[in-house]
Amino acid sequence: MIKAFVMMIVKVGELENVLEQLRKIPNIESISVVTGEWDIITKAGVETLEGLMKLTDKIQLIGNIEKTTTQVVEKEISL
Amino acid sequence: MRKKYLFYVLAIVSSFILAIVATMDSTICFIFHQNSWNYWVCALAVFLVGAPITLLIVFILSLPINGKSLGSKLDPSFKRIRLVKREELSYYLLAGAANAIQTAGYYLILSRFGDPSMALPFNQIVILYLLSIESIAEKNSPTMAELQCAIIVTFGAIMSSLSMGGLDIKALLVVFLIINPGWCVVSIYQRKLKLLKFGGKPNDSINIRFWNVIFSTIFVVLIALIVDKSLLLQAFYAASKYFPLLGVLMSLGFFSYVLYIRALGIGKASVTQAIRASSIIFVIPFSILLGRFFYADSLHLLIKLMGIVLVILGITSLSLTDVKAYLFINVKQGYSKGVLMEKIWKIKGVESIATIAGGTDLIAKVRTRSLGKGYERVIRRLEEVEGIEEFKWQSILKEWEEI
Repeated sequence: MIKAFVMMIVKVGELENVLEQLRKIPNIESISVVTGEWDIITKAGVETLEGLMKLTDKIQLIGNIEKTTTQVVEKEISL
Repeated sequence: MRKKYLFYVLAIVSSFILAIVATMDSTICFIFHQNSWNYWVCALAVFLVGAPITLLIVFILSLPINGKSLGSKLDPSFKRIRLVKREELSYYLLAGAANAIQTAGYYLILSRFGDPSMALPFNQIVILYLLSIESIAEKNSPTMAELQCAIIVTFGAIMSSLSMGGLDIKALLVVFLIINPGWCVVSIYQRKLKLLKFGGKPNDSINIRFWNVIFSTIFVVLIALIVDKSLLLQAFYAASKYFPLLGVLMSLGFFSYVLYIRALGIGKASVTQAIRASSIIFVIPFSILLGRFFYADSLHLLIKLMGIVLVILGITSLSLTDVKAYLFINVKQGYSKGVLMEKIWKIKGVESIATIAGGTDLIAKVRTRSLGKGYERVIRRLEEVEGIEEFKWQSILKEWEEI
């Protein structure tokens, strides 16, 4: 399983629309609206790198997102 | 569905069923008392019926429908009934023994009070024990807000449990020394079982409940054999005489516990228990139906209602005060990401940490009770870790998680 964080900056006033579209995309495990440098941080889990590309493509196709960055998880520890 | 919502739905539905179960429990206690059977016979009979009934339910839930088991609708992780795995055994043994003892204590209390609305609030004091244990086991020590809420819940529970005769010290001792520590152990180990993963998939709550009933039955029978063998004969007779009633009780209990265990896999044991405390409200209509709620005079009734309000206020505050954030951390050249990851993982409040390929080196997720605690417990500790070039705190305002 490949896990990745996808961070994005959204155009002002479009947050709710973008969230609605993101919630329809499969393989997104969590969506967080955050303060600071980014507006939204999503965590995704896919089987292959190609799957990750398809997922980021879907995010790219959502209008009103100004910038996205994808960061792949190498190792994770959680409760 | 937002993880938070699913968590609340599971815990609240579980507590509603628990209220029905508690009402049935008090009726069964009354019937057993009339037959001169004590609380041990009650606990034994419940488990003697519960074991085959639970087995039957789990078999039915194992039936495949459209390639998936029927039980997967209740818990998506469930496939079919299975044997206990080696790594689960110690947890089942501890949870089973604790469940056997606390069940007997619970029936002892119920046989003394008769009113489920009086007996149930006592059980909510278990939150104090859970908070203490979580502070040791889950690197998440209780904050002042948590302690305040716990104290409110405790006082509320004592107030709502007041009877006409005043406080029953013996009953309180049973609650504090037997029932709540027992239930605390059950909750902790059921949560540990739920958090276990097999082949990358989470453990399922249906098998956990099934095996918990089986192990509890074994322990109840063993204790009865040691204490007084005649209890077992009485229990067999009682179980056969009231099989349908006990069967319905254990079936409802099964679903209540399955939902509770699923909720335990999502939230902290103390918060799950806190929400489940809403059963003390749900039980009031059933208590009225039994004609026991208005036994008290108006003063006692007022104190009881104030106690219930306090319990609800306490649990609501406890479950709603939560601050979550992402920490983006960059590591200095010459320091290992892996070593730093381990060091940061030890900081209280850090729920998860991942090393990243990309612009950031580490992303940690933090959960605290307040921003102030976030500074004291996380940021100050983080600043002490050598090798961090810079870090950014991004507070989470709203979150959805796929379950």
